[in-house]
Amino acid sequence: MSESVRMVVVLTVIAMVSAGILSQVYSVTSGIIEENAARELESSVFEVLPGISKVEIIKASPQDRLVEDDPKEMREEEQRITLIYQGLDDSGKAVGYAFVGEANGYGGAVRVLVGVGEETNKIVGLKILSHAETPGLGSRIEEETFRSQFIGKSVQDPIALGKDIDSISGATVSSRAVSEAVRRGFDEATAAYKGGN
Amino acid sequence: MKGILNDLRRGLWSENPTFRIMIGLCPTLAVTTSAINGMSMGLATTFVLVCSSALISLLKNLIPDKVRIPSFIIIIATFVTIVDLFMNALLPDLHRVLGLFIPLIVVNCIVLGRAEAYASKMPVINSIFDGLGMGLGFTWALTLLGSIREILGAGSIFGKQLLPEGTPTLGIMGLPPGAFITLGILMALMNMIAARQNKVS
Repeated sequence: MSESVRMVVVLTVIAMVSAGILSQVYSVTSGIIEENAARELESSVFEVLPGISKVEIIKASPQDRLVEDDPKEMREEEQRITLIYQGLDDSGKAVGYAFVGEANGYGGAVRVLVGVGEETNKIVGLKILSHAETPGLGSRIEEETFRSQFIGKSVQDPIALGKDIDSISGATVSSRAVSEAVRRGFDEATAAYKGGN
Repeated sequence: MKGILNDLRRGLWSENPTFRIMIGLCPTLAVTTSAINGMSMGLATTFVLVCSSALISLLKNLIPDKVRIPSFIIIIATFVTIVDLFMNALLPDLHRVLGLFIPLIVVNCIVLGRAEAYASKMPVINSIFDGLGMGLGFTWALTLLGSIREILGAGSIFGKQLLPEGTPTLGIMGLPPGAFITLGILMALMNMIAARQNKVS
């Protein structure tokens, strides 16, 4: 075997074996990873909606239609679907709903989970799901004093930095990311929950 | 037998990757915000080092010289992805913190460096112990760095509150400058100890 053929063969075999192993590992772990993420999100819903005993997931598409003949368009549609977590109490009555909002912060995406009261339509709880902000500065968005500013806001409120939300000093970008995430998610969720239900 | 112990010891002290050879500094500086992060990063790297050193040493005669680097990188990347996926599945909390830095083990100079300088020339057993020594050397360095930064920056160690509640802490220790400062001081100390040892012997 000439040297160049050997090089090609060896590299190809190594890459193929690697791909084979990784696809096996992926198929073993991907289920667990998704389950973890779903379970974690669900347990977070309990934190932002006090007094609930059960969570139900509602899928709402803003246009209320699915284009099924075009796979590409279907995939895009899939991403536009808003997931809403409805919190029920012991008797099965809806207490409120929660949604995930996302916006870009200083170090990457900031994801928040917001709980809204069923009747009041006001925010009752807010949790930062994930962020990559600077420790000690931007990470202070997780603090109670900042998060509590959002409690009691309804979808008609501006929920904007400098208007009804005070920024954390030294962490304007991170603070704005949270308020934007809430703002955007709130609009989508209200439209989907109240409109498409 | 003595050769193997030497392989192991080299990484732990005389050729410690962090304090002596000073390679793989990017994860060293980035993830050592707390003791547990440093230790986990070190152990993940150790796993990759041992596995890839062993495999590369086994395959060293089969891999043509001209494509050895791409071959090594594929092998290393495979093990890193395995760590990444399993950590995400089994230790999701830890994975959230280390997240970005796990895939970066692929480009950690320690791993490729040992493959190129050692495993591609030496027998399997020696390569495994060399990888283990280097990995554990990296681990203790990162754990020490993380512990110091966590104590000074957050007043805790391994997540347990150490200093009484309300003790003023140095926020800078949790940020990149704190990593540089701590690493610099530790390196100076290491050099001092090494210099003393040389004088004695």
